[in-house]
Amino acid sequence: MKKNNILLLVNNLDIVKDLKEESNITFLFPVSEFSVGFERTFRVEEIPEGFIFVNRILDNEGIEKFKKFIGALPSNIKGIVFDDVGVLNVLLKVNLNITKILFLNHLNCNYESVNAYLDFVDSVVVSTDITIEEIDEILKKAKKPVVLYTFGHINIMYSRRTLLTNYNNHFKKDVPTIADLTEKISGKKFKAQESIYGTVIYTNEPFNGLELRNRENVLFNLINMTFFTNEKMLEIIKSDSNLEDKYPYKYLSAEKTIVKISDIKD
Amino acid sequence: MIELLAPAGNLDRLKIAYLYGADATYIGGYNYSLRANAINFSAEELKEAVEFAHSLNKKVYVTVNIVLHNSDLAGLKEYLLELESIGVDAVIVSDIAVINVIKNNNINLEVHVSTQASTLNYEAALFYKSLGAKRVVLAREATKDDIKIIKDKTGLDLECFIQGAMCTSFSGKCVLSNVATNRDSNRGGCAQICRWTFDINNENNVFSMTPKDLNMAVYLKQMMDIGVNSFKVEGRMRSVYYIATVIYEYRNLFDKIKSNTLTENDILYSNDVINRCANRESVPQFFDGQPTEKEQYYLGRDEVSNQDFLGIVLDSLEDKILIEERNYFKVGDEVEFFGPGIETFSYKIGEILDEKMECIEVARHPRMHVYLRHDKKLPKGTMMRLKVFDKKMYL
Repeated sequence: MKKNNILLLVNNLDIVKDLKEESNITFLFPVSEFSVGFERTFRVEEIPEGFIFVNRILDNEGIEKFKKFIGALPSNIKGIVFDDVGVLNVLLKVNLNITKILFLNHLNCNYESVNAYLDFVDSVVVSTDITIEEIDEILKKAKKPVVLYTFGHINIMYSRRTLLTNYNNHFKKDVPTIADLTEKISGKKFKAQESIYGTVIYTNEPFNGLELRNRENVLFNLINMTFFTNEKMLEIIKSDSNLEDKYPYKYLSAEKTIVKISDIKD
Repeated sequence: MIELLAPAGNLDRLKIAYLYGADATYIGGYNYSLRANAINFSAEELKEAVEFAHSLNKKVYVTVNIVLHNSDLAGLKEYLLELESIGVDAVIVSDIAVINVIKNNNINLEVHVSTQASTLNYEAALFYKSLGAKRVVLAREATKDDIKIIKDKTGLDLECFIQGAMCTSFSGKCVLSNVATNRDSNRGGCAQICRWTFDINNENNVFSMTPKDLNMAVYLKQMMDIGVNSFKVEGRMRSVYYIATVIYEYRNLFDKIKSNTLTENDILYSNDVINRCANRESVPQFFDGQPTEKEQYYLGRDEVSNQDFLGIVLDSLEDKILIEERNYFKVGDEVEFFGPGIETFSYKIGEILDEKMECIEVARHPRMHVYLRHDKKLPKGTMMRLKVFDKKMYL
């Protein structure tokens, strides 16, 4: 079975050593000052070779810093995945020979949007919030190979507020910067991760879209190892199986979302 | 250009918004709007709304601000052409697919980029400008400096929220609702999970992420000075009473800023009236810095609904006014009237007449018509509310 290239969003440097010999893996590093939702971020000097992940929504101060940062990017950085059209606008103005991938989290849910952005970048991460059928239609109609989010906990809320710190301050508590949240009525669980740039809430379970590994018109399958150990991640990456017994969570890929309350079925 | 921009979930609310001082309204059409559970406007109602607004020399913007899925693309062009033919003044969009359909088909619609796009820096605003956007609705996370820099470096029209509920998340960056309830937040079905409560780390505490409402009354002048063009009130699901109250208070504040007569007490009074009407506290949020726990709700939040909205004036006769009742009131109650073109005034109910002109002690049935003695004409649409705050006490 054909397997596409993997873009692995990493949370430590040892995994890079462990997977050094795997030729189909590109490493993606959440870069310090410009990423949110990660316990470990990386200064550009630490990165051996790979792509950088810039998923902060940047204010004006942030965009100015980013301009300086991108102007001094070393040659071992081969690509950038980013979530702010301000970053896109900066990249359009600099002559930089790296792979540019737009990851507008929760946007890009249709083929027209994907194709519109493909006029400006090398590739686009297709939204995680749509069904497999919708993804397949996008793959058919996208004018360049796209990136599919294929495995991992999904960032489902990004607040500029420091929600855990605020909670600690209000109740005089000492919750760390990663916390488990359980909604009181439904019992639904989430994970929260805070930094000075805000708070990200993730799905409690990792999304398993490993069935998307063999699709056509895919530049990368994106795998996010946030909250995973190296051992578990290696098992997932090296497995030919889709591991659905172990990781059954399909997120929003299996069922269409509802728009009107009247559409809710009993 | 300074514009007070009101939400309107239906035609009644739209008319009230203009009557009480809005320069423009934003409304959802029958498709592609982020308030799928609002009543929203049919094609006929859209036409009526635009004709009504234009007859007053005011504007109507239509939200086409969902994040589209593949199946939403069918019919989009036709819908946009219909909005063009109706003559709406702009569409508010978040998905580049909508912008492209407008551009590629030469549809004559002004594009405003929705707050769903979370624009927080000038490079992002310049990108949207390059796509043809005339205005950007900035992220609610924008600080005073952010707004000023974006204005200075782009020259775009800027629209900022000044009042109403806040998302905890950057707008557009949250699908908690999809995950918890399968209701699609970015297509108008948000179940507001951020207003629910959570255990944290398996302890039975109350973790909450709910922000207090936004209220920018104290910063209106500064916002005008740094170049904000449109001052937006949130709330397409809100009632006529809420819209009338909030727009009336902000219109008064705007007029006082214009005449250089605004006092701190004017703001205090308006805020008390607005907060009472919304049943929530409201505070500035990101404008002057990063919000803390003080800008959020935790335990002890009291959201007790009130029945302050007592009635609406339907007609003025020689010595009487005809009122449509909304909430219980009785002889002896202290009420006040506020409305377009009149100063808010107090009134003690001495006599209530029913439709047969017979005296009654109590108006207890919603929508019943009653008469109150009053010898001055009041504009149709003037509202009667329970007197809670005495403006004289703020002087």
